[in-house]
Amino acid sequence: MTVDTIATGVRTGIADLVLVLADSKRLLGMRYAGWILGAPELEAGIACASMAQDEWGHARLLYALMRDFDHDPEQLEHERSPSEYRSIEVLDAAPEAWTRLISINVLVDNALTLQFEALRQSSYAPLRQRVEKLLDEERFHHAHGAAWFRRLAMSGPARADLRAAAESMLPAVLRWFGPDSPSARALQEASVVDAIGSTLRTRYLERVAPLLAELGVGDVLASIEPTFDGFDEATRRSTTAAPDAETITSVRGDLNREFLLE
Amino acid sequence: MIYEVFARKRRGQPLHHIGNLNAPDRELARVYAFNTYDEERWFDMWVVARDDLIEVFSQTETDGAGEAPGVRASAAGRERPK
Repeated sequence: MTVDTIATGVRTGIADLVLVLADSKRLLGMRYAGWILGAPELEAGIACASMAQDEWGHARLLYALMRDFDHDPEQLEHERSPSEYRSIEVLDAAPEAWTRLISINVLVDNALTLQFEALRQSSYAPLRQRVEKLLDEERFHHAHGAAWFRRLAMSGPARADLRAAAESMLPAVLRWFGPDSPSARALQEASVVDAIGSTLRTRYLERVAPLLAELGVGDVLASIEPTFDGFDEATRRSTTAAPDAETITSVRGDLNREFLLE
Repeated sequence: MIYEVFARKRRGQPLHHIGNLNAPDRELARVYAFNTYDEERWFDMWVVARDDLIEVFSQTETDGAGEAPGVRASAAGRERPK
């Protein structure tokens, strides 16, 4: 179905979802990029560069889709303040340790991928047509995260840090899939997505459980019940916090605005 | 550990050695090979630990400079199947 034939409520829901995914991928790319220098080995730095490039490519095509919903992609990419970003909260701060980056690689990148998998048969054709290539590129992100996660889970000091990182991130990631609300159900009934909230959480936990089990805390983490106090379904955020200003300055290209081609 | 990376352009073409990389295990070797060498459109790509390569011969290991043992063996009159 084309955008013109979509009911207004569903149309708003799709636009919200696309912008949440675009901003999350933009920020995820920034977090990978922050470790191009300083990764444990040159090859891991190259992997971060490659993953950042993929995420920014995905973000770019998602921002372009916002034209369908009467938004200007240029404005979205270059004019918004940090508080207007809808990126997943876990990405608000730069991961200051490699164990946190790997936790993001596994827990956040997989969450976004699970959400895209729910769009494979989407009735919103412009997104459906782009999703397979995007998911194909994500396969190696998962492989990178999983291999590093296992490796860190085996070593003494890193294991504790990785566990702390995973425990701190997982509640927010589980909440990010949202409640099984009427607006979420409307998207499912319009076949925009094939699953919402609790089903996505179940699929997600099936994906990450084998890795969490390596830390010996799989059961504890999997039993977390998300709470939705203050959760805004449009932004999928529940705090008034925002991505750090320095990162958004960089994302918007503020320092080189004069060179931005119209 | 060093891994050697091989790839081919098209189905049926021979594998070419395209480079190497450092990786701590097989899984990361796969990922790093993809990330590092996927700038071209390959038909397939393979990675193998350098330690797992079994040397058959090497010019630098023989004293017959420029002549591989295999060449001498066939020249010595090994019969070809008819």
